[in-house]
Amino acid sequence: MLKKMLIGTAVLASCLTAQMAVADTSDKRIALSNNYAGNSWRQAMLDSWEKVAGAAAADGVVAEAPAFTTAENQVTEQAAQIQNLILEGYDAIVINAASPDALNGAVKQACDAGIVVVSFDGIVTEPCAYRIAVDFHAMGKLEVEYLATRMDGGNLLEIRGLAGVFVDDEISAGIHEGVAENPQFEIVGSVHGDWAQDVAQKAVAGVLPSLPEIAAVVTQGGDGYGAAQAFAAAGRPTPLIVMGNRYDEMLWWKEQKDANGYETMSVSIAPGVGTLAFWVAQMILDGKDVPQDLTVPFLQITQDTLEDSLATTQPGGVANVEYSLEDAQGVVDGS
Amino acid sequence: MTAFKTLSEKPWIWSFLGMIAIWAATAIYTGGKGSADVITAALSFATFTAIVGVGQMFVIATGPGNVDLSIPSTIALSGAVAMKVMDGSNAMLPVGAAASLGCGLAVGVLNYLLIRVLRIPPIIATLSSSFLILSTAIAYGRGLKIKPPPLLAEFTTAQVWGLPVLALFFAVFAFGMSVVLNRTIYGRSVLAIGQNMRAARLAGIKVERTRFLTYALSAVLAATCGFLLAGFSGGASLNMGQEYLLGSIAVVVIGGTSVAGGKANLPGILGASMFMFLLVTMLNTFGASAGVRLVMTGLIIVAVITIAGGEDAQS
Repeated sequence: MLKKMLIGTAVLASCLTAQMAVADTSDKRIALSNNYAGNSWRQAMLDSWEKVAGAAAADGVVAEAPAFTTAENQVTEQAAQIQNLILEGYDAIVINAASPDALNGAVKQACDAGIVVVSFDGIVTEPCAYRIAVDFHAMGKLEVEYLATRMDGGNLLEIRGLAGVFVDDEISAGIHEGVAENPQFEIVGSVHGDWAQDVAQKAVAGVLPSLPEIAAVVTQGGDGYGAAQAFAAAGRPTPLIVMGNRYDEMLWWKEQKDANGYETMSVSIAPGVGTLAFWVAQMILDGKDVPQDLTVPFLQITQDTLEDSLATTQPGGVANVEYSLEDAQGVVDGS
Repeated sequence: MTAFKTLSEKPWIWSFLGMIAIWAATAIYTGGKGSADVITAALSFATFTAIVGVGQMFVIATGPGNVDLSIPSTIALSGAVAMKVMDGSNAMLPVGAAASLGCGLAVGVLNYLLIRVLRIPPIIATLSSSFLILSTAIAYGRGLKIKPPPLLAEFTTAQVWGLPVLALFFAVFAFGMSVVLNRTIYGRSVLAIGQNMRAARLAGIKVERTRFLTYALSAVLAATCGFLLAGFSGGASLNMGQEYLLGSIAVVVIGGTSVAGGKANLPGILGASMFMFLLVTMLNTFGASAGVRLVMTGLIIVAVITIAGGEDAQS
């Protein structure tokens, strides 16, 4: 673990030295405005930010890059926070937003004050802001396409996320499109697991008795282990459950793999996407040409990469990649 | 006829009727498939809601404005601390249980001190303490997921004749708490304070001691819930208490306890906890979309409370 971190820091340091020659952002200040910290994904996101942005500040790439998190996950609170950041004179604000449109007023104010605004994960629709979005639709579709390579067809149970959130609608739409293109599959049940293991367990345990045999479970991440628990508690055969890169999910998968050769795949967004947003903000401040809308690749774990991912993931965390300036350059060039 | 009349005057009967109606609707929809298993699942999950519901009931019964909003964070903290202390070892089970209860007690004391010494209204006091508690849980566990000791996992998921063992234990506990509420000085004091705190104080009731015990009880029950829930669902997580915030209040109110305080009803909590689980299950089974589901949940809860409350007003 320590060795890994040292190598990581060394790699990071080397790409920093490589880029310092051109950087004239050493007096710039970048703030992270984050709306929520109460789950393992967000914790990993903040850790990654601290590691990468903190190192960048220590090396003089930027003057400082603090992270601010609101207590209540509320739009009004985050809007007030952004206004404070404007007053404090930050040069760029990186936002994981509580709402795609309700923060637009505050974001516009920031743009008008000459501040670079980069939103990621929870993006904002205000045109002046930059967006680093995930193609959640493709992620949902990928799950069904993977299932089509693994089985001849069958009944699917869909575990959705938090009702009313854009991400949930997108992933679900992708899954349904995948099923429409692969009519050998049928979704026989759909529950909301709120991306939380215990909520998913409860919801699945409730509907399971009334459902026919389930061949596979399509998920949105954070809910796979709970689904596995519910199937085990009901004494039903364990179906193929698509996982979402959480440590507990991967650990369960590994146990099953060792015990009976269980095979599945896992897909989600790396919490390190925040560090990608950091570098994009830095590049914009550096005068680079960056398109307004960027797409970040998702992180997929397969039967072969499971052990490696498990080894590099903290217990209780999420499989992660932290981005370097070069990675950010690659994403910008690729779009 | 008189039997019906006495029964219909019991405020708890409505949550049970609601529960049966919803279960029947689900059973009809699925053609009876798995209906017995649904009850088993409902008993398992309702037990956790009911444990925190009992604590919340005592708090709410002490009068208007009394509510414990720190229950979710206490669940998270207790689960995280217990799992970390035990680290999956059966031998450490008593230590873990003690640590969990210790967390609960500490939270109860903190809540009471905020309310009593700093004179903060209970809603604000428990809300602010919940931030402190959750931050502690985050700092302590960093979202750590450690497997529970096998013995705890077995105990929390065990069944006899299709009945969860945990639910059976809880039934005994609930009966005990019902006696405490209706037959002990402490229970009567809670109700007296809820009806009129000033009158209760003038009548010589030890108001502050009772309030302290009540907040401590609620926190300890939340901690117990966190301990058992972590065992049940294969480890603690930071957000595992989240749905018990409104859940605990909802089962108290649906169960026939007066939000204005002074009137509490324990059996109703059991019915209401089952009711809440079966309601979600029914809407999931019907395949209702998220919007319809939320609207239905709201409407059905309002309906049950209105029917129960309407009867109440006539009596």
